[in-house]
Amino acid sequence: MLTLPRRPLRIATATGLTLIIAALIVAVLWAILDAATGASGGSRVDLAHLLRMTALQAGLTMVLSLGVGVAVAWALNRLRFFGRDLVVGLFAAAIVTPGMVVAFGLLSIWGRNGWINQAAQSLFGFSFDSPAYGLSGILIAHVVLDGAFAARILLARLDAIAQSRLKVGQSLGLGAVQRFRLIDWPAMRGSLPGLGAIIFLLAFTSFPIVLLLGGGPANQTLEVAIYTAVRLDFDLAGAVRLALTQIAVCSVVILIASAFTPVPSALSRSAQPNWRDARPVRAVQWLVLVLATLGFALPLLNVLYEGLAGGLFRVLEQASFWRATATSVIIGASSAALTLALALVLALGRSATAQRVGRTLLGVPAYAYLAVPAVVLSLGFFLLVRALGVPSGAAAPVVVVIANSLLSLPFAMATLGPPLDAVLRSRGKLIRSLGLSGWQQFTAIEYPLLGRDIGLMLALAFCFSLGDLGVIALFGTQDFQTLPLMMYRALGSYRSNDAAAIAALLLIFTIAAFVGLPRLIERIAHAPRR
Amino acid sequence: MLRADDLVFAYPGQGEPYRFTLEAMPGTVTAISGASGSGKSTLLDLLAGFIRPTSGSLSLDGVGLLSLPPETRPVSLLLQADNLFEHLSAAENAALGLPRGTPKADGKARVATALAEVGLSGFEDRIASNLSGGQKQRVALARTLLRDRPVLLLDEPFSALDDETRKTTRELVGDLTRRHGWHTVLVSHHADDIAALAEAHYRIVDGRLERA
Repeated sequence: MLTLPRRPLRIATATGLTLIIAALIVAVLWAILDAATGASGGSRVDLAHLLRMTALQAGLTMVLSLGVGVAVAWALNRLRFFGRDLVVGLFAAAIVTPGMVVAFGLLSIWGRNGWINQAAQSLFGFSFDSPAYGLSGILIAHVVLDGAFAARILLARLDAIAQSRLKVGQSLGLGAVQRFRLIDWPAMRGSLPGLGAIIFLLAFTSFPIVLLLGGGPANQTLEVAIYTAVRLDFDLAGAVRLALTQIAVCSVVILIASAFTPVPSALSRSAQPNWRDARPVRAVQWLVLVLATLGFALPLLNVLYEGLAGGLFRVLEQASFWRATATSVIIGASSAALTLALALVLALGRSATAQRVGRTLLGVPAYAYLAVPAVVLSLGFFLLVRALGVPSGAAAPVVVVIANSLLSLPFAMATLGPPLDAVLRSRGKLIRSLGLSGWQQFTAIEYPLLGRDIGLMLALAFCFSLGDLGVIALFGTQDFQTLPLMMYRALGSYRSNDAAAIAALLLIFTIAAFVGLPRLIERIAHAPRR
Repeated sequence: MLRADDLVFAYPGQGEPYRFTLEAMPGTVTAISGASGSGKSTLLDLLAGFIRPTSGSLSLDGVGLLSLPPETRPVSLLLQADNLFEHLSAAENAALGLPRGTPKADGKARVATALAEVGLSGFEDRIASNLSGGQKQRVALARTLLRDRPVLLLDEPFSALDDETRKTTRELVGDLTRRHGWHTVLVSHHADDIAALAEAHYRIVDGRLERA
């Protein structure tokens, strides 16, 4: 079929960019492999233990998060109340909430001196062993973030159930269990394998949470072990072995995940009839929702409370704080802008390509960065600039922007690709028959329709970069640090008030960007048309 | 005259190919009917250039069209739905039919004239998503006027309209076809549309066009 408008320039530009991105992957891998063959001496790395521990926590995180996600999505789909949109938005923000901030919030609730132990001490005269450290702490933090993320994705599936199906179910008088089994579960089931693979991957490559809550070598994961090997033990051979293992496992998970139905980034919401479950079931739904909302919101609220009430003014007086803020914002904005440029070129090229093989080839190098975790990519760049003889301090800002941008690229492509494809699927014939130029097609049709998606993509990329610790951890210096690195250093030197203030500000910046950017860009995109 | 001479096409895995031969005169409506899946939309795709026949010829006033891609064929298209871009205004949608490089003021005046010709004066700034089904089809017709192509292909254009709107839109299509000398090819399975509008009528039977 010749229904797609012919856009050779788009395809050529995307092909050129794909080759550059692929070359960068090859260069990074080459740098890692070259270092592996050149490194001398034995390594003290216990690979089997690290692999076991990483897989165990990722597997448990996946199972628990999917369980939480299904329960919360089910409850949220049923209940209607004032502020529901706010709760849904809160769960949607989980994907961009910096892991460090959540980990810090959990410590202030579940830690040795957290609320719960303080309450137990004053009420009963004894305190508990803190569950915030070790495997339990890692799992709690991951489930808080990934459970909320799963809930938001699964809720979109439930909200998209056709009205007609619900009407039939309601007229048949289905009970709560039958309704779940016959209507809800089939709607969610298809997304679970793909979603599970994403959560497994997120947990497998999790860095700041394990770094903060791991509590020692026994609970270390591959990602943290790489950082420790490079930064603390100067064990380059060990780091390279770990990095290659990490890439191999992530690649296998991605290959397996690609066989599953993709997780949709956006679904249309159907008008749902007013079909309430019986009162006892609704009580369970309320319980699930209240527990989940408290579980997610309490650590964050506590971060805000401790940060804003404690050391805020002391931190605001520090010149290093303002430097770190400026660095974070500049790096975040630069990497978001770069991500947008890369993702737009690739997505426009892919949508203009009719052949499946061509589309796959234009996507593979970008999506390959899912298999390269932040610390590993950072290590690759670190070795690469060293091999090129560039001082790492001089290369740091550029490398951090590029690395953060590449890490956001798969998410950006997943955000921009489907709406672009949808425009051409529904209007491709019309656009082609009208003989619109590529520029007309973009400015009049694609850009206004993509406004919100572009904003969402920019917000995701900006927030990912703002909260990043994995990339900056290897390149950061005293003069070149971002807010997460400054917060980590404050924690390391027991300045917890400073850390709390930085965490609070980081959270505020993140939420503001995540909420504000999509709306702002949508307004700009549509402004001339209103 | 628009003339298709033994256009042969088969989808992968399809047994017997379609073979279409057809003539459409200027200023007239030529109707195509047939059962669902008989190949009506395939015929329009062949005429518009979205698919290429394996053999045969297609010409307008003796000039071959098969080598032309869809964007440069002398053809306008009106589908059952999705003819407009919902986020653009009526005027912006219609203006997509203007030749590239049309000066802004001239373009604005021509869009206003075209919208007036289809009975939509004053609707210039209305966003397409806020127009009724009939109004949307009229805006698409205004765009067709601005494109000024001699062949108009209609794929069930009245199916989504209520009876009254259907009648007036049908009359408008017939009127524009006669006044502008278009070669209009209408695909429809509604006998009343065909009876009211078409000067010639073909039926697709077993993958071939037969004069009805």
